[in-house]
Amino acid sequence: MIELSAIENDALIEIFNIGVGRAAAAMSSIVKEEVIMSVPAISFESRTQAALMLSENESQRICGIRQHYAGAFNTEAILMFPEDKSLEIVRLMVGDAVSLEELGEMEQEAMSEIGNIILNSCMGILANIFERELQGSLPSYHVGTSAQILAEGERIFPMDATVLMLHINFHIVKYQINGYVAFLLDVAALENLQSHLGRYTGRFAGTP
Amino acid sequence: MTLVTDLLLLTELTRVMQTEKNVLIVDDSRISRMMIKAYVLSLYPSWTIVEASTGEEAIEKAPALQAPLIMMDVNMPGMGGLAAAEKLRKLCPDAHISLLTANVQDATRSKAQLMGVGFMEKPITEARIHQLISAWAQ
Repeated sequence: MIELSAIENDALIEIFNIGVGRAAAAMSSIVKEEVIMSVPAISFESRTQAALMLSENESQRICGIRQHYAGAFNTEAILMFPEDKSLEIVRLMVGDAVSLEELGEMEQEAMSEIGNIILNSCMGILANIFERELQGSLPSYHVGTSAQILAEGERIFPMDATVLMLHINFHIVKYQINGYVAFLLDVAALENLQSHLGRYTGRFAGTP
Repeated sequence: MTLVTDLLLLTELTRVMQTEKNVLIVDDSRISRMMIKAYVLSLYPSWTIVEASTGEEAIEKAPALQAPLIMMDVNMPGMGGLAAAEKLRKLCPDAHISLLTANVQDATRSKAQLMGVGFMEKPITEARIHQLISAWAQ
């Protein structure tokens, strides 16, 4: 098992904090309301345990938008909202320009675009900090429990693999909407990330 | 004298911007195309918006369209926005092409700069569309 040193752990949280701050700004710009984000929590989990941590209860139905990133390190990034809030989020994004009927038709597509913007906001900042490029896949949209969403579709890592999970809760205050952003990294990805972290912290070594 | 010149330039610019124009929007997201279209038309109601959902479709439509302004997403199925912008740069040398993308990486901005195309980040807002059009108009 790879262990992160205290400075690496601190740097990882700080870098994701910056990325998540950017994502919060993007989210806020989409819904035109204040968005509060938690400090990223880091833990080593199996995918099954990770799924349990990503919803308020096991049976809660959520919609998830997932993207894979490859390059500097491989990661799965997932944005999740309660399913019953997704239409409201899309409505906040487009305003009154689109009828409710049209909105329903394009809900899935609109949520994918929201996921694309928010996940890329965060990952783009990470790539810039590490001075490397990350290639993102097209977003895929899933509905189900968090366990189903983590098990569905193409996955980089097997279900029983231990992954490093960074997860962040966000809250759209005015509309009482809670969501989650999670990043899953396997051991190989973590080794790559660790070397980038080393270079990043090394830049500041010796700075008073 | 400078003020008069500036005013004349501004008047001429406003006149040019108000004349009919074709604008090509390239984005695989229908909702994004709808939002861009709504914001552009709210600023310039006389403009004609043509949509393409892939880079390939944009390359097919662009030569006949002769659009002076092309807004291009990056992360799309098929050839993707960067490759499409590169081809369009040659097919429509007089067009102003600007990426309009969630991909905020420095690497993407540098590629855009090297190709001579603009860069505007998503989410799409009226202010950003206005900024993108103003950058072209200048």
